[in-house]
Amino acid sequence: MKIWLLIGCWLLAAVVLAACAGHDWATPADIWRAIAGDTSMRGRLLLEWRLPRVLAAALVGALLGLGGAVFQGVFRNPLAEPYLLGSAGGAALGATLALLVPMALPQTVLLPALAFAGAWGATMMVIGISRVAGAVDAAGLLLAGVAVAAILGALRSFLMLALSDETVSLQIVLSWVLGGVQTPTWSVLALLVAIALACMGFALALAHGLDTLGLGETMAQSFGLETRRFVAVAVLVGSLVVAAAVAFGGLVAFVGLAAPHIARWLVGPLHRPLLPASALVGAIVVTLADALARSALPPAEIPLGLVTAVAGGPFFIFLLARRLRK
Amino acid sequence: MSRALALTLVVSALSAAPAAGQAVTVRDALGRQVTLAAPPQRIVPIFASNTEIVVSLGLADRIVGIEAYTRFPPEIRNRPLVGGRLGFSVDAVVGLRPDLVVVTPARQAANTLVDPMDRLGVPVMVFLHRTVEEILANMRLMGRLAGVAARGEEVAARLEARMARVRERTQGLQRPRTIMITGRLGNGLMLVAREGTYTGDAIVRAGGRFGLAGTAHIAQVSPEAILDANPDVLLFAGSERDLEELIARPGWSDLTAVRNGRVHAVPRPELLIPGPRTFDGIERLATLLHPTAAKR
Repeated sequence: MKIWLLIGCWLLAAVVLAACAGHDWATPADIWRAIAGDTSMRGRLLLEWRLPRVLAAALVGALLGLGGAVFQGVFRNPLAEPYLLGSAGGAALGATLALLVPMALPQTVLLPALAFAGAWGATMMVIGISRVAGAVDAAGLLLAGVAVAAILGALRSFLMLALSDETVSLQIVLSWVLGGVQTPTWSVLALLVAIALACMGFALALAHGLDTLGLGETMAQSFGLETRRFVAVAVLVGSLVVAAAVAFGGLVAFVGLAAPHIARWLVGPLHRPLLPASALVGAIVVTLADALARSALPPAEIPLGLVTAVAGGPFFIFLLARRLRK
Repeated sequence: MSRALALTLVVSALSAAPAAGQAVTVRDALGRQVTLAAPPQRIVPIFASNTEIVVSLGLADRIVGIEAYTRFPPEIRNRPLVGGRLGFSVDAVVGLRPDLVVVTPARQAANTLVDPMDRLGVPVMVFLHRTVEEILANMRLMGRLAGVAARGEEVAARLEARMARVRERTQGLQRPRTIMITGRLGNGLMLVAREGTYTGDAIVRAGGRFGLAGTAHIAQVSPEAILDANPDVLLFAGSERDLEELIARPGWSDLTAVRNGRVHAVPRPELLIPGPRTFDGIERLATLLHPTAAKR
């Protein structure tokens, strides 16, 4: 109980700090006045622009943490994460298609649909390739993930070169690639909250299965888990979570890798507490990274994906080194 | 705010306000409707091109913020910055309390600024400038928006008259095949002026024609393509030293343009910033492309 209170306090502190951070730093009192109805330009800036962005960053981080925890559980591999398994790259390719290729459906439907299809397709492709190659261990999966991510990245770059014009499309796609939370309106933010809660619900339904799967495929089967079907469903849920995160935050690297690890230190390996804890840690990490991205080099803004990659890269190397030493 | 400054602002506001004082509504390059209830007194133009257009209308005093790569005119350089190479800050723009923001869709400017400004109720005007005609239209539009429509007309008409003189001077003359290198990339490729851009338009208006066929869509070309095209005139937007270094490379001395001494460095701001200085650039190009006609 104490640990949940601690995580909650950290998240609250991160959100307040992020709401204050920016080119012009605000005080918590300014934020409070803005919420209470300050109609000055600055008050409106805080309420209409900064707060929704901070909350969206927290939700994107929560989705990434959750997605990472699901993938690490499914693959029984602490190095699995949406970025490395190609699902984030697949989602980005789908989103690029939605943004650049004129299609009959409206973009509000196309973008999440194609992002999901891309995330799911890419992850299945990685699993398929590693199975066909007979390399179902951690290294095999990661290598397949790297290869698929490279192909998807190349396809996305080609689409960007071939289809964008000099007005807006290229810039939107570019901001996706570099990662950055798109500030939603309050109603879109409410939708994002609903999506995040639904994702958490789906993920929690997998918790017991993930714990069982963690004992090994044979053992899990002897416990009555239909492993093949369960893995397929869990990958689908993981892809849905990642697609939602990518649709709102672009490619934000390494959070899906780091957050479940930190959460495991805090609450242990069982998935029922691990999944919400990963989401909360992801929320804290992305909220702080986004605050740094917005305030480190005023008046410019560093793309969020670059901040998390620079911070997350060394973390990944640390994990790898620890694993290899074992 | 000091009293003197406040007084200056009030006086300039009164002198600049249109007689009728009505709201102005225009359509911008993205098809958005932009409405200003009164002539803007605090303008944030993003990019050198937009700043130079505002300045050309005599409105330098109304500019309250610029971006880091705006360096002209010198008196503007100490204004607060709202961004640079790494993008633009909504915070910084809003902090300047602008009543008009002018952007161009480049370096993420439109993408990062239009939506937040719309939501906060700050009018944003998006300009495109794919041709010289569009640059002139932007000046007229800026004049209307700023409540100095007559001045916008006058500035644009004066520039049009200069263009008409260039046209007269070069009419009926043989158009030299021209290539203008506008940049060099790290991978050895070169950027060239092409059709569908104001820089390409400048070459045509100055009495030249494209020395590289089929460059409508491709901005990057290999040096080999330039050597193969063997233009009559080779222009380089940059310093004389960089140009000399370029044509000293193997193969370049064989170019007809080099052998005939028709290789010229041209000032980047005149040909790569789509504003009032572009017209100086076109006159300069006309003189370089048709040196004898210039003496007429």
